[in-house]
Amino acid sequence: MSETTEPAAPKAVHRVRGVDHAAFPTFDPVGTVRFYRDVLKFPVVHSICAAGWGPEKHPDFIHFFFDIGNGDRLAFFYYFGWQPAGDQSAPGDAWARLPHETPEFFKNSRHIALNVSDEEDLLEYRSRLDESEWPVEMQVMHETIESIYTHDPNGYMLEITRQLRPVTLQEDLDAALTIEALCDVAAGEDPSMDKLLTRKAELIVEKAGDWENENPAWRESVEV
Amino acid sequence: MARFYVLEVPENEGVIRVAADDPTCTVDRVGPYCRLTANGPIVIDRRATGVRHAVWYSAVSGLEASVVTQHDKDALRVESR
Repeated sequence: MSETTEPAAPKAVHRVRGVDHAAFPTFDPVGTVRFYRDVLKFPVVHSICAAGWGPEKHPDFIHFFFDIGNGDRLAFFYYFGWQPAGDQSAPGDAWARLPHETPEFFKNSRHIALNVSDEEDLLEYRSRLDESEWPVEMQVMHETIESIYTHDPNGYMLEITRQLRPVTLQEDLDAALTIEALCDVAAGEDPSMDKLLTRKAELIVEKAGDWENENPAWRESVEV
Repeated sequence: MARFYVLEVPENEGVIRVAADDPTCTVDRVGPYCRLTANGPIVIDRRATGVRHAVWYSAVSGLEASVVTQHDKDALRVESR
């Protein structure tokens, strides 16, 4: 045979392509649809009406999906007849309640953040929320992103965020060194920020010079 | 000797500038990090840096034989351990 074919390029190690869907339970489908479809104007793109499922005691449920851009989806389960567990006056959300003394920072650590492209779009979502029953609770300028926050009708914290600038090469190095230092100190006794920063300085001395030689383009991000 | 590292990104420029303006503090570079060194404590005045809250509290990348003894709305103080 004279026919030749190019060998297929090897596939990348990292192959996933973002969020297909993230799913959460709801006990308030009416509020959930008002919040995501009517206030935020996220299209409803899919739903499943299931009469039980698998195990004998599985309740009938509706699984419904909102488009969150980029082909990604946010999904909810509504189980007919199912009641929320735990003390409903305690901090938490539709999925779980935490002890009463749990601080806000911990409760809010589990959240979903959606990306918008610029300030105009961030402020557009801010105004949609502010005109609704779920006004923006905070608008925060972080290190490299600006975000607005509210809680949806289920108690889930929703963040909408815009990047203030692209992530630089040196921040990828810094993240890698932080995670190496974190894993080292978290595997030892009494992990602390002090121990992490001490370990990270050792890693900077060991690796940052070689990294710079391999990544000279990093300077473009700080040269005016 | 007090010594700590700050990543060179645009947001940290104010911290690095204040250190460089301090005659007791030496600033040199290790890869993309600025290395701040002084014989005595290094004290960075928050207001002089002009950096915002989130940047201020995440500006320190590494501590070499040193310890943070103050990091609040007024100042960052790093001393020999």
